[in-house]
Amino acid sequence: MFKIKISIFSKTKELENKIDCFHDKIIDSATLFRKAIKIFLTVDDFDEYRSVNRQIKAVEHDADNLRRDIENQLYAHNLLPNLQADVLQLVESLDKINNKIHDVVYKFRIEKPEIPSELHNNFKILCNQVAECCEYMGIASRSFFKDLSIVRDYIHKVYLMEQESDITCNKLKKSIFNSDMPLANKLQLDLLISEIAEIADIAEDCTDLLQIFTLKRDI
Amino acid sequence: MISFLIFLSSGLFLGWSLGANDGANIFGTAVGTKMLRFRTAAIISSVFVIIGAVMAGNGTTNTLNELGSINALPGAFMAGLAAAITVYFMVRTKIVTSTSQAIVGAIIGWNIYSGKVTDWSLVSAIAASWIVCPILAGVFAIVIYMLIKFVLKYRRISLLRQDNYTRIGLVLAGAFGAYALGANNIANVMGVFVASNQLHGLPLFCGTSLSPTQVLFLLGAVFVAIGIFTYSYKNMDTIGRDVMQMSPIAALIVVISQSLVLFIFASSAIHNWLEVHNLPAFPLVPVSSSQAVIGSVMAIGLIKGGRNINWNLVGKLSAGWISTPIISAIICYVSLFVLANVFNLTVYL
Repeated sequence: MFKIKISIFSKTKELENKIDCFHDKIIDSATLFRKAIKIFLTVDDFDEYRSVNRQIKAVEHDADNLRRDIENQLYAHNLLPNLQADVLQLVESLDKINNKIHDVVYKFRIEKPEIPSELHNNFKILCNQVAECCEYMGIASRSFFKDLSIVRDYIHKVYLMEQESDITCNKLKKSIFNSDMPLANKLQLDLLISEIAEIADIAEDCTDLLQIFTLKRDI
Repeated sequence: MISFLIFLSSGLFLGWSLGANDGANIFGTAVGTKMLRFRTAAIISSVFVIIGAVMAGNGTTNTLNELGSINALPGAFMAGLAAAITVYFMVRTKIVTSTSQAIVGAIIGWNIYSGKVTDWSLVSAIAASWIVCPILAGVFAIVIYMLIKFVLKYRRISLLRQDNYTRIGLVLAGAFGAYALGANNIANVMGVFVASNQLHGLPLFCGTSLSPTQVLFLLGAVFVAIGIFTYSYKNMDTIGRDVMQMSPIAALIVVISQSLVLFIFASSAIHNWLEVHNLPAFPLVPVSSSQAVIGSVMAIGLIKGGRNINWNLVGKLSAGWISTPIISAIICYVSLFVLANVFNLTVYL
């Protein structure tokens, strides 16, 4: 009995660590995204941007591996049988945030868009809001596994940041289409801004899921 | 001896159906929610049902024998069969029933047929315990619910750790529930055969032995275990998925409160302790685990706001209280008449 108990708890501890690491990756990814855009806008050295891009790629890869491990362990050891489907859905949705961040950063790398300096500030604000949105989402999801009582607080912060990012996104788009730059540039920036805002939208979708799963966790 | 075993068959059949139905109450949600494998649940419940029946089955059996000590084997056979038929009929009509109520009805039927005096004060005490049973289970469920809610709020246990504790809790509570079921309900299965028992004692290790009554209970409990193994899986799955769609923690609350009620109504130690301290003692009466489960489930529903309560169940519960003993008594009376007059068997001495 003692051995069985030890074995159950060690499996749990291992999975808990993996879930923790997975959430770390979400937060790392968001922080690196913020850093990457800042470098793109302010520093001329494109090698540094490429280096951050590689870091994001590595984080995304690690997160993918962790997601697979979490899924396998949940099923193999029949942990959380009543919440298995919910946890898998949540982890997969969170992984989409990492994927999207990597896609956007990579797009900046290959397209190298020309962004007028008067838009830099709003660009940084938008990226900051999107990154914060993802960070709060990571913390909210981590709390779902560790401390249910604070999930609601972070869910609220995600919603708030997503709304702020929408406002900044619209402001940026208006500025772009009111400027004198060629239409091709305008459309390119419009698309990039929409993609950045989409990261926050994915985080918001995860929050919607998390809210339902939190209600379901009640006794 | 062979005729004894043939007459005992009705009790053994009742034991099998008890295992198939009430065994599912203990581990139903744990198996249905995949917290435990059926094999693990069946082994634990079988072992503890047998231990409970052999070690502590006497209390409730004495009460049933006080109500009516069926002294002829054919009479005991018919009382067991009447109870089994009634339970089968009730299950078919989807009325929540209990072998306890059926067997009490059958004993009263035998009393009436044989002209023995029925102790109506005892009958009313037994009937009162049936009403108290789901209410008490509900009270226990509310207390445990609030306790767990408090612990979860202030201890901040992680989701996976909580899952582990629940799993361990379900195993322990299930084992306790199976023990309590064996102790409380073996009287329904074998109680009527005690007065006409022809089995011998069984010597065990280190100078210990089982009395003839304990051997009778062991035989009955083995059939309860067979019922659990052969037929309770379907019921466990139904209970886990359809009847009680609840979280594993709520399932744990239901199992603990149900087990506590069965234990209280079977424990001679608690009964004697309460009597010694001049407190109102719970009678040692076989009660229904299904009704205790319904009481707990409804109490959890009530404390959560009462939105998900199926009031239809309350109606079926009350219908079972009244109709089961009456139908069982009538079936027993008519069958005893047939047995005595058509087959010329002695149904009472």
